[in-house]
Amino acid sequence: METFSLLAHGFAVALTPLNIALLLLGCFAGTLIGALPGLGPVNGVAILIPLTFAFGFDATSSLILLSSVYFGCMYGGRISSILLNIPGDEPAVMTTLDGYPMAQQGRAADALAISGVASFVGATVAVIGLTLFAPMLARMAIYFGPADYFALYILAFVTIGGIAGVDPRKTLLSALLGLMIATAGLDPISGIPRYTFNNYHLYDGVDAIVALVGLFAISEILMILEKAVRDRAKPIGIDSWIPDVRTIWRTRWAILRGSVVGFVAGVLPGAGASLGSVMSYSMEKQASDKDGTFGKGDPRGVAAPEAGNNAASGGALIPMLSLGVPGSGTTAVMLAMLISLNVQPGPLLFERQPDLVWGLVASLYLGNVALLILNLPMIGLFSRLMMVPTWALMPIVAAVSFVGVFSISNSTFDLELMIIFGVLGYLLRKLDVSLVPLVLGLLLGGDMERNLRRAMSISDGDWGILIASPISITLYLLTAIFLGLSVWFALRERRRLLARVGGD
Amino acid sequence: MTVRIAGVAIFVIAALYTWYGQGYTANFGDVLGPSVFPVIVGIPAMILSASLVVFPSGEVHWPDRSHMARQAAALAILVGYALLLLPLGFPLATFLLIAGLGIVLGGAPLKAALLGAVIAPGLWALFDQVLGLPLAFLGRWFS
Repeated sequence: METFSLLAHGFAVALTPLNIALLLLGCFAGTLIGALPGLGPVNGVAILIPLTFAFGFDATSSLILLSSVYFGCMYGGRISSILLNIPGDEPAVMTTLDGYPMAQQGRAADALAISGVASFVGATVAVIGLTLFAPMLARMAIYFGPADYFALYILAFVTIGGIAGVDPRKTLLSALLGLMIATAGLDPISGIPRYTFNNYHLYDGVDAIVALVGLFAISEILMILEKAVRDRAKPIGIDSWIPDVRTIWRTRWAILRGSVVGFVAGVLPGAGASLGSVMSYSMEKQASDKDGTFGKGDPRGVAAPEAGNNAASGGALIPMLSLGVPGSGTTAVMLAMLISLNVQPGPLLFERQPDLVWGLVASLYLGNVALLILNLPMIGLFSRLMMVPTWALMPIVAAVSFVGVFSISNSTFDLELMIIFGVLGYLLRKLDVSLVPLVLGLLLGGDMERNLRRAMSISDGDWGILIASPISITLYLLTAIFLGLSVWFALRERRRLLARVGGD
Repeated sequence: MTVRIAGVAIFVIAALYTWYGQGYTANFGDVLGPSVFPVIVGIPAMILSASLVVFPSGEVHWPDRSHMARQAAALAILVGYALLLLPLGFPLATFLLIAGLGIVLGGAPLKAALLGAVIAPGLWALFDQVLGLPLAFLGRWFS
């Protein structure tokens, strides 16, 4: 009952005129950013974070704006997947498998409507889950000691991206690079400057937001320059924008299954929306692909991954808010913003700043409804906006990123650092190294070290404290299972590849 | 080959990081001290990067020369912006950024310049005048 009164209070916070305006603006901007090929939620949120500083909003309003952008991007990502066969980001890849064939068959309106409804149901399931489970997890997390937090961070590093199929060594290396960068600056306990090379700009450490904008926005420009820049796919022409309601109704079970699977995947720290959409799609394929229609334009193949990726995005907010460990790349970026605003996510957040938590949850309910209303009739407008040529879009993105980063410190040193991170991000992406673990390392490095050192102070230097509590043992066991699974997946992938090469 | 070179580069960075980190002396009252965490992070990074040198995975396809030239030009424009923002002032530097990047990204020069001429003062007006974020209109060189 307490949850409902807190939620009611949250609605009172979310329904102030400023927050409603930010919510609608965020939903619209998010759908637009998501619909533009090449820009996903991580880029969208990373570019907009510095701007929220420029606006001078409080933490609650900033979080409402950015989470509406986040949810909007997850809705918008499907538009370019279905009409152009270009996924805006990783989780949208699965939607291209059946969405683009449907569009080619002249059923684009159906595909867009199904994905809109699936996104709505998936995200709503996730927000209900967030309402019920996040406070529970936060109450449990109060029992976490410093050694348990240390174990939790290790679990987050191992799970993030580990199951996605890339080389797990590269994923871990990326997290370690992030941790290395995080140690630059004044040591959190003794105050000794480390890796600052006598440059006073580095005494506060590397600003996570400067690094994020560089890694995601600047590296994206370099990636785009690799391709034939003049080419631009033309979206498929659509005769009718009116979807067939019966087709949508037939996908209801796929939507529900996808929502539940996606939500569970989202809650796992570090796994995120990509895993949510991949798992929902493959489970739906196994459950209902009796005639082999998946991959050839089956509406259920659009419904399941869309419900899954939106449910996972909402689910990913649970570990971020209640444990301070983000569940996806975008929530990692949002965590960076909260830390920059001096808000420390974690179990105490629910007690100390109920306005922020419940205002956010309420705004997600409202945002979902707004997105559904916005998306169904305005699909035509959003798909026309996809025609904005890259040569016009990316320079504006670069200019906005520069203004945002400059506004944080008014120093051009940050702009130079951002470009260095852009080049680093580009090189790592070329090497197939995921950037999200690096961001996570950069964000959590300080806390990880602080918790380790606190634990060691408590035990007076006895390393045994790290495996002394049932919570930390459970977390290490989970870490071992995930690590084993990711190595197994990677080896299986390699065997498949070798078998294919051998077969040719 | 690229993965191996990257492995060597990361190994060298991690080794320097670990070696350098050992020089931070612990002060009393702090059991672990400031040099242990860098070692905990640096050594696994060295092992993982060494394993990439011995057993590299994945192939890297670098862009051809003309695309690389475009990337270099884009980087030069970005660095130039960071260096010229204060001397030139926001609108002029941003105009050069948008027009320059627009051309590098394949836009017609006239259209790209037109885009810069519209967006750069627009952004200045939005951020400086409407949102109250101080951005110099005329830079050091003009005032």
